[in-house]
Amino acid sequence: MRTNLKVLGVVLLTLGLYTWVANAIPQLESVVPEALTFSADVTEAEIVAAGEDLFTGAGACTTCHGLGTQAPNLLTDHEGQGTIGQRCGTRVEGQDCKAYIYESIRNPTAYVVDGFIPMVFESRFFSEAQVWALVAHLQSQGGEVTVTPEDIQAAQAADAEAPPMGGPATAAVDPLEIMRGNLCFGCHLLNGEGVTGVGPPLDGVGARISEDRIRRALLDPSAEAAEGYEQLLGSMPPNLPDMLTARQLEVLVDFLLQQR
Amino acid sequence: MHERQCGRRWPALGLGGALAASAVALALLAEPVVAQEYVPRQYGTFPLIGSRAAVWVAAQLHLFFAAFVLGVPMFAVVAEAIGIFNREERFDKLAKEFTRLLLVSYAATAIWGAVLVFALITLYPGVWGYLAEVFDVSMWLYVGLFFVESFTLYLYYYGWDHWRTGRAKWGHWGLGILLNVWGTMVMFIANSWLTYMMSPPAEVTPDTAPGMVQLWSAIANATWMPINIHRLIANVVFGGAIVGAYAAYRFLKASTDEERAHYDWMGYIGNFIAISALIVLPFAGYWLGREIYEFNQQMGTTMMGGFMSWLWIVQAVLIGVLFLTGNYYLWVGMGRIPGAERFMPYTKWMLVVLVLGVIVWATPHTMIANRDEISAMGGQFHPFLGVLGVMSAKNTAVNLMILTTFLSFLLYRRANRRPVVTWAPRATVIQGAFFVVAAVVVVFYGIYGYFVPAIVRIGFSVYQVLAVIATIVGVVAIDVFMMRGAESRGAIRWGQMPERSQYALFILAVTFTWLMGLMGFARSGIRQHWHVFEVLQDTSVDAATPALGYASTVISACVLIFLSLVAFIFWVGGLAEKPVISGVSGSHGAAAVPAMRDD
Repeated sequence: MRTNLKVLGVVLLTLGLYTWVANAIPQLESVVPEALTFSADVTEAEIVAAGEDLFTGAGACTTCHGLGTQAPNLLTDHEGQGTIGQRCGTRVEGQDCKAYIYESIRNPTAYVVDGFIPMVFESRFFSEAQVWALVAHLQSQGGEVTVTPEDIQAAQAADAEAPPMGGPATAAVDPLEIMRGNLCFGCHLLNGEGVTGVGPPLDGVGARISEDRIRRALLDPSAEAAEGYEQLLGSMPPNLPDMLTARQLEVLVDFLLQQR
Repeated sequence: MHERQCGRRWPALGLGGALAASAVALALLAEPVVAQEYVPRQYGTFPLIGSRAAVWVAAQLHLFFAAFVLGVPMFAVVAEAIGIFNREERFDKLAKEFTRLLLVSYAATAIWGAVLVFALITLYPGVWGYLAEVFDVSMWLYVGLFFVESFTLYLYYYGWDHWRTGRAKWGHWGLGILLNVWGTMVMFIANSWLTYMMSPPAEVTPDTAPGMVQLWSAIANATWMPINIHRLIANVVFGGAIVGAYAAYRFLKASTDEERAHYDWMGYIGNFIAISALIVLPFAGYWLGREIYEFNQQMGTTMMGGFMSWLWIVQAVLIGVLFLTGNYYLWVGMGRIPGAERFMPYTKWMLVVLVLGVIVWATPHTMIANRDEISAMGGQFHPFLGVLGVMSAKNTAVNLMILTTFLSFLLYRRANRRPVVTWAPRATVIQGAFFVVAAVVVVFYGIYGYFVPAIVRIGFSVYQVLAVIATIVGVVAIDVFMMRGAESRGAIRWGQMPERSQYALFILAVTFTWLMGLMGFARSGIRQHWHVFEVLQDTSVDAATPALGYASTVISACVLIFLSLVAFIFWVGGLAEKPVISGVSGSHGAAAVPAMRDD
């Protein structure tokens, strides 16, 4: 009996220790994103508050931006440029703060901050209203909020007409429009459009690889990497095949094959 | 008067009027019911703890039992093989005792499997229907294999004494192998269902009808094989730990020296199996983590840096307990080995390495903080934790801990043996060089990692791991040849083990079990509010993924229920049949031979 009690005591103490440790650390819950609905007379404070909820909660933005290792911390100073609300207006020449943040959310690889690797962030799960709420919240971090109730109303109208999630990113059949719609230029460079130093440039791609290889790269982006870019294998959006129609796929294959 | 008249007239309407009125009422009520189409419900409700917790507990308990009944046959069949090839009957008896534990646990595995299925059907009928439509054929195969596996187990156990000699023994061993084959196939099939929920193929979207999903593409999804391998190894770890705890209990309850010696030996083997497999497990974990990142970067980041980030600190605490307790058990065990005293002075230094390793590994690096907290901390990174909490430091710490544990095993193994080969001194120097080179490689890349970008630093962990694996393989290979025909410094005094060492085995079993529950929560939780990631959304009231505090309570409850059931089942099993005593000599025996022939 004594042995039994001792064994039970050891088991309970061990379980108690682990349960205590797990309860002693910060308690973070992953919440479910809720659809945002604003009334016609929504105030700036309400928009900012909704954005903050999304940023720190269901949007999971702090997963990368709250740490400062995967992506710049938006709530603190970055290399003497101030918080995001202070630095957003000076990041890209000719682009104001509002447009910069909006573009950064919708096209996360458009402006990769020096020292960070491009992340494939699925902003398609955010509605337009959610994006504008996020923009307002980030502007409020040291800057002036310029998102207006009109922006929100327009966003809600756009959301109501948006196609169901999961379909092609664009209905275009022009190859460059398809590429822009699928954010290809966030990582690749072609004829001076896009960025360098991230994914392989697409100039001359038709001379480097075969038609089959191009098609495979579009249908199974994580299968193999371009020479010299092995470390970025897996960075292409895995859902790329779902974002293209059959016609768009063939248009892109033909177009890229002609880049010699 | 008027009232009175009215009162008289109502009954006067008669039965016919009442029936007519009722018929009209029924028709009016029935009409909408007829017009409405039956819509099956998506979720059920469970009293008190809710549907999520009910399914969680059922799944976790099924998994605990399943892991045990899949892990034990692996080392039962190996033990039987050692008995056949080395003609050591005690290993054959040990294998039979392992299998007896397996037999009595098998029914509980099936019962909890049934509980899980019924819980899913009644509480999550929508998800169950979806998965059944995708995986129907594999579910039939699963049931068929389970049937075959059960009968193979019956033949294996009940035929043990009947087929104990000659060719029949080989046939019996073949049954053990078959048992493992069926069990592994069953696990692989079940793994395909849960990994599909984590990482469905790219072509499956929310609009894809489940009947249109290609079965093989659903099975061979991105995380299927990494999970298969990870679970295969983890089952061995878990099975070893539970067998160790069983042996520890029997040791504490033993009434004779012979019994004590037998269970001391069995506990040692259970612990040896668990710790040996544990050393390999992180490598399978790396692979799984990499596949998760490649499947979806956001999922990978959620796992390591999002709301799950603190889970790894809890995991570090558990792993720290495993390393410290496992080594403690070995060091205490050296007290019963003649000649081990020459190694005892080293243990305190090994303890220093282990404790420092645990401290570094359990150091958080970055944490999600608001502006006030960041100001209070004096910057984005804590000046102290920011240095020790990075992966460079953690990988260095864990690799040094693995090397130290391996060294403990080596010293234990060599404690009572004196090599007779002439080249033994040189070989020992080479073995030492292996350790030194591995430690230098691990520390070098650990420090160098601070000066290179993250993408390069990730690759360094591969060099560190390779250095450690090369050392383990190289040193064991040398040792096997060097210890051939080695002289004995004296027989191991099996059974002469302090009681406290047996409680260490309980701590190991509880910790392994809890760790399994924790990592199961991590694997399942990174799907967040999706039943099937980004395909089938969880719209139930329990869609949010709970915080670690709540999860830890559920995990502790599951572990307690599991251990209570295991204790009961083993007790009941013991009533029916006396355990086999292997013949390992007691405290004064001269023929005591531990595993790996280290006499």
